[in-house]
Amino acid sequence: MEVIDKAVRDIDIDAMAEQVFQESINILGGLRKLIEYRNLTWLPSLAEAAYAVVMKEELMKTHKEIAFDLGLAPQTVQNILRADAKEVERFIKGEIEKVDEHKAGGIAKLAYERVKREKRITLKEGELEVLGVDWAIRVLMRLRGMDFPIKKEQLCDRIGGIVIKGKPFKTIVDEMKPLLGSPAEVLKEIKRIVG
Amino acid sequence: MKREDRKYYELDELKEKAPKLFGVPTGTKLDEMFWKVDFEGGRPVKKPLGGIPYLSIINLTGIPDSGKSLLAEQFALHQANQGYKVLFVTVESPANFLYTSLKTKSLYLGLDFERISSNIIVVDASENAELREDPRALMDTMAYAIKEKQTNNVIIDSITGLYEHKEMMARQIVRQFFNFLKKWRQTSIFVSQKRSAQGAETAEAAGGLAVAHIVDGSIVLDKKLIESRWEMSTYKLPIGSVIRTIRIDGCRLTGHDTRTWVFNISEGGTIEIVSPLEDLVRGGGDGGNR
Ligand SMILES: Nc1ncnc2c1ncn2[C@@H]1O[C@H](COP(=O)(O)OP(=O)(O)OP(=O)(O)O)[C@@H](O)[C@H]1O
Ligand SMILES: [Mg+2]
Repeated sequence: MEVIDKAVRDIDIDAMAEQVFQESINILGGLRKLIEYRNLTWLPSLAEAAYAVVMKEELMKTHKEIAFDLGLAPQTVQNILRADAKEVERFIKGEIEKVDEHKAGGIAKLAYERVKREKRITLKEGELEVLGVDWAIRVLMRLRGMDFPIKKEQLCDRIGGIVIKGKPFKTIVDEMKPLLGSPAEVLKEIKRIVG
Repeated sequence: MKREDRKYYELDELKEKAPKLFGVPTGTKLDEMFWKVDFEGGRPVKKPLGGIPYLSIINLTGIPDSGKSLLAEQFALHQANQGYKVLFVTVESPANFLYTSLKTKSLYLGLDFERISSNIIVVDASENAELREDPRALMDTMAYAIKEKQTNNVIIDSITGLYEHKEMMARQIVRQFFNFLKKWRQTSIFVSQKRSAQGAETAEAAGGLAVAHIVDGSIVLDKKLIESRWEMSTYKLPIGSVIRTIRIDGCRLTGHDTRTWVFNISEGGTIEIVSPLEDLVRGGGDGGNR
């Protein structure tokens, strides 16, 4: 007779890790910044760290279990999970010159806290892939915390200022349908209009 | 419009969607108390369903100590013994008590407990505030168990325990669990407690109001202490003894016996439904002798 005596969350670890990954990129100033500073090589370790942090926090897994699941060295996972997020944050802000912590680990932890704190936006699998991530992520970040469905006019407050593929959002919004059911729908509409 | 989005169906189309009507056995005489009507040679013939209706959610209610948990456990045992998987959500009694209780009954009934226990998965909310207080957390956990174990049946003992101190929320909480179990296609029993002060043995009087109107049917258990000469002669029982009764108080899905039946609790803690109360009262004696 198997007994479960603690709450099991039916969470989508992949979706959550993706969100943490996106938020990590955001913390670093966006993909564009990463490209400008030739820091794209960080992405793999950010992805690993995002998974490790989510699995630790949401599934209560040990560093050994996580290392096994992700095919990483246990020491690497331990470094990620032990990273001092505050120190890493100071480093990113330029307050300190160097940091001994696992940088990606610290960033993933900061990102995880933000994702947990703010209202999460969940996108279904594959919804991002057709979209070309750069502007989509910028739009998503600004939509965070909004309650859907919303009227398209409400969007202007948040994303009115941005320009997508040469078109100011203010003109894009004119062609959008009046009521939007989810963040994904906002993205799809923009995609349809800017092509 | 996509097919799944539609709210209305032609009656014809529902034929394929409607679940087949058959009974999920409880291992008690209750199985003969639900029935269906078949047509044989053009004539309607009443046939026992053989259990509570498949995919139904039945409210099992009664005052404290009336035998609700015993009956719910017996249902779990009987199903698990037949190889079906059961999720037992225990809210009042900790899992180790439940374990002992199931084991005792299974020995008494001469069943293979090893086999049975491998078919039962328990969610123990009795000592975990999160599971008890947060329906979302409990439903996520149940979903996990249902998926992992591929269960067919769910018992919640008791649903009342999930809205203690927040009776205002009762309807909403019961409705959520009802919808949840429908979605997962589980034949289910909600045990609900009726305060003894609520008197009458109707399901509506039970804790009760919330549950009875939402579920597919109700079974009411009761017990009565023989306290007067008049009761002694009516029930043909010695003073100070207890008479226990069970009745199907309504079921939307099938026909059923509407009489009040007398049952005994065996030494092994199993329920044995004996005869309709009216037979006991009528049988022998004139009830006079006051
Ligand atoms: N093995 C046994 N032999 C005889 N009587 C038993 C046995 N096990 C339990 N009982 C009796 O059966 C009665 C019904 O118990 P049960 O736990 O089913 O009540 P309940 O309706 O679930 O009550 P509650 O609302 O308090 O949960 C109790 O009076 C109990 O003492
Ligand atoms: Mg009980």
